[in-house]
Amino acid sequence: MREQLENVIAEVEKVIAGKRKVIEKILTALLAEGHILLDDLPGVGKTTLAVALSRTVGLSFRRVQFTPDVLPSDLMGFSVYNRESGTFVYQPGALIGTNLLLGDEINRASSKTQSALLEAMEERQVTVDGQTCSLASPFLVIATENSVGTAGTQFLPYAQMDRFLVRLSLGYPDYEAQMKMLRDRRERNPMDEVCCVLTREELQELQREVRSVTVKDAILDYVTRLTMASREHEAVEVGISPRGALFMVRMAKAKAFLEGRDYVTGGDVQTVFGDVCAHRVLLKESAEETSVGRVLDELLKKTENPDRHGLFAGMKK
Amino acid sequence: MKKRWFGYGAWLLLAACLYFFENNTGTRVVLLCSLLLPMVPVLRTAFFSPDEPEKDETRESLTVRTFDAQEPEDSGDVRRYVPGDSVRRIHWKLSAKKDELLVRETAAGEAVCGQEKNVTRVDAGRKRKVSRQLAAAFAAGILLCALLLLLIPEARHSMQGLLNRVFSASEAVNSYVYSWFAVPENQSVLPAAILLLCACMLLLGITLVLGSRLTALGIMAVCVLFQVYFGLAFPSWVNILLGILFAGWNLRRPVRRKELAAFGAFILLVTLMTVIFLPDVNADTEAASEKVRDRLTQMAEQITGTVPESPAGETETRHIHTRSLENGDREAETEQEFRLVTVEEEQISMPHWINWVKMILLLLLSVLVVALPFTPFLLLNARKKKARENRKAFVSENVSEGIRAIFGQIVVWLETVHPGAENLLFRDRAGVLPEDLPEGYAERFARCAADFEEATYSLHPMPEEKRRNAMELLKETETALWNHSNRRQRFYLKYWMCLHE
Repeated sequence: MREQLENVIAEVEKVIAGKRKVIEKILTALLAEGHILLDDLPGVGKTTLAVALSRTVGLSFRRVQFTPDVLPSDLMGFSVYNRESGTFVYQPGALIGTNLLLGDEINRASSKTQSALLEAMEERQVTVDGQTCSLASPFLVIATENSVGTAGTQFLPYAQMDRFLVRLSLGYPDYEAQMKMLRDRRERNPMDEVCCVLTREELQELQREVRSVTVKDAILDYVTRLTMASREHEAVEVGISPRGALFMVRMAKAKAFLEGRDYVTGGDVQTVFGDVCAHRVLLKESAEETSVGRVLDELLKKTENPDRHGLFAGMKK
Repeated sequence: MKKRWFGYGAWLLLAACLYFFENNTGTRVVLLCSLLLPMVPVLRTAFFSPDEPEKDETRESLTVRTFDAQEPEDSGDVRRYVPGDSVRRIHWKLSAKKDELLVRETAAGEAVCGQEKNVTRVDAGRKRKVSRQLAAAFAAGILLCALLLLLIPEARHSMQGLLNRVFSASEAVNSYVYSWFAVPENQSVLPAAILLLCACMLLLGITLVLGSRLTALGIMAVCVLFQVYFGLAFPSWVNILLGILFAGWNLRRPVRRKELAAFGAFILLVTLMTVIFLPDVNADTEAASEKVRDRLTQMAEQITGTVPESPAGETETRHIHTRSLENGDREAETEQEFRLVTVEEEQISMPHWINWVKMILLLLLSVLVVALPFTPFLLLNARKKKARENRKAFVSENVSEGIRAIFGQIVVWLETVHPGAENLLFRDRAGVLPEDLPEGYAERFARCAADFEEATYSLHPMPEEKRRNAMELLKETETALWNHSNRRQRFYLKYWMCLHE
């Protein structure tokens, strides 16, 4: 792994102990220029993680606490009539000029607010009063969602779910990690010690490098077969979208890059498959006895991996 | 030798099926198959291989390794592989032993880089010429023999005696053209046997000289018809024996001269044995043959309209004859009578039609049955061709392809002998290796798996050394797993995957 990325992880680990895997995944998503949905219990450090990451990478950070009365104009900005000049003046919203947006409890926002995020997340631009203005680059949304206490919340629309590159969960820290956390915070806040180890320009350079990672047709073929299989699975109502396939390749590229390779292997795809696809698959109502995780495992097991695929064309039946 | 058991088994089954077919139809399809099977490789060697470089593949035995430590005989004439050398020249045994690719050096030093292709073509052309000359020499020799035999009366008489014995089991001897064969039986049969051998060689010679698949097919068809009609006294079990023997031969594609000679000798032996010891076996197939003969004669008579010999048929035909004559004379007959005549004619001519259909079906069936024995060999050859292509990848210019091919074989070995890790990535496969493999195997496997991934999914140029690593691992795998594999697995690896000899 690159030294820069190692440093980033080390910095973030100062505040979140024992979660190296999740941090790596988030970093991967960051390199893949994708949005992240953190789905977990309150108080496990979702916000802390996002803040630490933004500090480490030197991104401008903003946080929006979503409630039912957050309006689209709060995010995108609005025009105010200026009486002195007699013109409308655009007041930028939370999205403008932000690199890293933390949307807390995104599932508490009303559906129109959520819809406002759609264009911003996909096209990285907002349109207000017919004026389109592009967002800062890179633009990354880390949204959190509570899986308990769902009173007053609504499900994210599928279209928006699909725009998130990955859905991750942190989980509780183990004994050691929690002891370390408590010990670290006795006198000081470790967040203060987190310093910027990767500038925005460096990050963009890394993202460019990720884009140039080699993906051979064999891998694309594997991704396509996985996607197709998910659509044909008997317990699945909505399978993985083409965008899902696109994201899978992107995430696999970043994963390969993180591991210091400049080519994607079948293993990369398998590693990112669960995180990228779990929130894109809707099960049928009749499929009660199975779960999305199990279906995805089944797909991985059933679909012939690219190492094997085609290699035995001349040897096996 | 062991390798041929498969062929024997398959042939035994086929031959058993064919035996019933023969008994029921009176044909000698199995005999023909067994006679003509060996000619296919002969034909291919002589006429169809000038541009096929894999002609001499068996001699260069494509195994990656050998288990015995015997030193290759011509180890003095090898040199290192240089890109551009033909894959055919690689000395696989020695290469595997020395861990670097070695090629055979020909005496004339023909293996010049870049000119390989031309040289191969010249070689092939020369071989073709040689086989044509050989065939011509055969034919000339046979003609000479035949001439001599015909000039010496004793030899001629003995020939007649031999033929007499051949046909004595058949009723045809008495009823058709063989009445002139009636000579004393105490003649020596040796000259005749020589003549018979010559005839066999002549057949081969003709095939070689005129040879094309079409000619071979034509000869085959003529032989079928001849046998159906005359019913040679070759018992079915001899046919089966022949078939079994030649099945073994056909697993080795290019036929060498030694084999050709052995083939001729075997034909002679079987012929002699049959003629001397079993002059009148297989009477029931003879009878069946006779039935076919009778049917054919009857049909021919019905078609040509000549007067048949059998009394029943005679009256019938005469009846029609007179009727039609009357019909021709008295055209003003009543309509009813005319219809009556037509109906009668139809009744008689219907068997014609049915017989023709039957004959065509029988011929088609014969062709099918003749083609049937070839299928296992065709299948196996296709497998072998693919395996060869795979092996070629070992040493192609593209090292990545080589690593892929080699590692693929390692995995096939592992999965054949220790199945159960279906659809695992090769890298993950290192974690579930069986325990009885040599020490440090898993690490080496993991390293090669990483090389495999790089070779497969990256655009990096791969160093030759990594291919060598993979080759070593393959050898190690083969040695370790061969001893652990059971018969079924060995069979699968050897014959179906063509991985081991």
